[in-house]
Amino acid sequence: MILKKFGPWLDTVAILSWGILLLKYWITGKLSILIHPNYFGLTVAGGIGLIIIGGYKMWELIQLDRSNQKSRTSPTINSPRIPKVEHITLFPPSFGSTLMLSVALIGLVTTPRTFTSQTALERGLTESLPITRLQPQEFRNTTKPEKRSLIEWVRLLNFNPEPDTYIGQKVKVQGFVIHPPNVSEQYIWIGRFIITCCAADAYPVGLPVKLPIGQSRTAFPPDSWLEIEGKASSEELQGKRKLTIQADSLKSIPEPKNPYDY
Amino acid sequence: MQPALTNQLNNAFTLFLSLLVEAIPFLLLGVLFSGVLLGFVDERKLIARIPRNPLLGALAGSLVGFLFPVCECGNVPVARRLLIQGVPAPVAIGFLLAAPTINPIVIWATWTAFRDQPEIVVLRVVFSLITATIIGWVFSTQKDLRPLLQPAIARALPLPKPDSSETQLLTPETPSLLQSGTFILGMPGGAVPIESLLQDNWKPLQTGKTEKTSKPSSLFHRLSKERLGLLLDSMVQELRELGGVLVVGSAIAAIVQVGTPRELILNLGQSPVSSILAMLLLAAVVSICSTVDAFFALSFAATFTSGSLLAFLVFGPMIDIKGIGLMLSIFKARAVIYFMVLAAQLTFLMTLGVNLYLG
Repeated sequence: MILKKFGPWLDTVAILSWGILLLKYWITGKLSILIHPNYFGLTVAGGIGLIIIGGYKMWELIQLDRSNQKSRTSPTINSPRIPKVEHITLFPPSFGSTLMLSVALIGLVTTPRTFTSQTALERGLTESLPITRLQPQEFRNTTKPEKRSLIEWVRLLNFNPEPDTYIGQKVKVQGFVIHPPNVSEQYIWIGRFIITCCAADAYPVGLPVKLPIGQSRTAFPPDSWLEIEGKASSEELQGKRKLTIQADSLKSIPEPKNPYDY
Repeated sequence: MQPALTNQLNNAFTLFLSLLVEAIPFLLLGVLFSGVLLGFVDERKLIARIPRNPLLGALAGSLVGFLFPVCECGNVPVARRLLIQGVPAPVAIGFLLAAPTINPIVIWATWTAFRDQPEIVVLRVVFSLITATIIGWVFSTQKDLRPLLQPAIARALPLPKPDSSETQLLTPETPSLLQSGTFILGMPGGAVPIESLLQDNWKPLQTGKTEKTSKPSSLFHRLSKERLGLLLDSMVQELRELGGVLVVGSAIAAIVQVGTPRELILNLGQSPVSSILAMLLLAAVVSICSTVDAFFALSFAATFTSGSLLAFLVFGPMIDIKGIGLMLSIFKARAVIYFMVLAAQLTFLMTLGVNLYLG
């Protein structure tokens, strides 16, 4: 009986809470941690839609509550000519709502965090793009080397993997620090996650960085964000010749609002 | 160990939330369309326009999904209504299997997720159409579907039309009392064999008043306040049902992605055969709604072969644990097993072709 009475309220609150959560992520800017900016509009519209549905339903429930708590399906409503839409349920009716409400509440009190350098290592750090990524359609070598972002460097390398081509070019990139296990103290990797849709397909890319002589990577803990200026060079790392950034200066920067690149 | 574990949990949670945040707007759209079209389109009018040829009928049934964009949770009730209203089996089965995939919202969601691999979107549609049409066609050889249906549905189903040769045998040369069969007495021309009622204008069980609510010429019901209320109710109902499934599915996706050893996933995911088998199994277990399953598959895009992702996207909407439960409300277990085996085989063969020749 109690379930019957509270079931509609539970549904309503669950729907409203998801609408609020979606809008909260948008307002606080956390949406960029979760999905690609192309879909922000969709999420915001979804949030508003949920709030409209939830709000309307809430209003209806309040009205019903006032008018002597008649159930919506009561025969007083003049709608016997519409056949009830048949619906087959898999879960007990309130299960889905309870689940959605709990997740929304957890989402409201916690803050999503970006993936870490540890994740980058686990997912396999490469300087090549996975086959599923948009391949560069045109080759714009006209961009000034120091204007290229980390991703643009990676795209370029995907197009022409020969490190010698780039020797001596100026580099200025931003990313987070990764400490790969099998390289000497003098090297770090500077990395970034790229996404096409949402965090579920985040894919790490990065480039090795050779620190200036006399510096050890312990000064640059993993996951800290750096802006690195230097020159491109070619080094032999783990038996492979790789484009390596010969760093001149490493500047600590705050984590960007939008940690991914596209 | 401790920081690694927190890191894993943190990743799983971010992944879980990102899947939900990306998928919920699509879920809302799907639920909205499903509600609008279930409430406002008169499917009986639609049926009258479907071709009678079994192969064409199966194809048409598969395409009807474009007008009823429902995911696999919504298509079972629709398919059941179609069957009861006397739609030929190939049409209903084609609809049942293809509608979750062949509809604008699912295609859009798939394109959103696989923007960079348009071939996945195209092949998903093509393979789903082929599979659903073939299975519908196979079932057209079964003239009378009733042995394969649950008794309650079978009873509500109209009798199959007899072959015309059979009807001619029944022409009353012999006095009607000597003929065998079932007759309706007291008709204008004396006793009439019940089969003759099935010929042209026979209408199966109609639920009385509904017919009068729509104008005879229109495919759509008129907008009214009650229908809007009904739409709202059906949306809330589906949101709660499908939202629950989505939460569970996203949690499984996040845990599988974060919790499974990377070597295992890579080994499974890179081989053309095992990757497909793994994805077929995953599709059946996860039961994620077709409106949002593209995002789920996307989380495996970097590690699994394209063919296996397609297998997931084609097979999942047709057959999964949740869907089987729903299908058993119409069909007997035997028929559901036929669906499963046929769909799995066809999907496997086609996606293996993708892995071997296009990959």
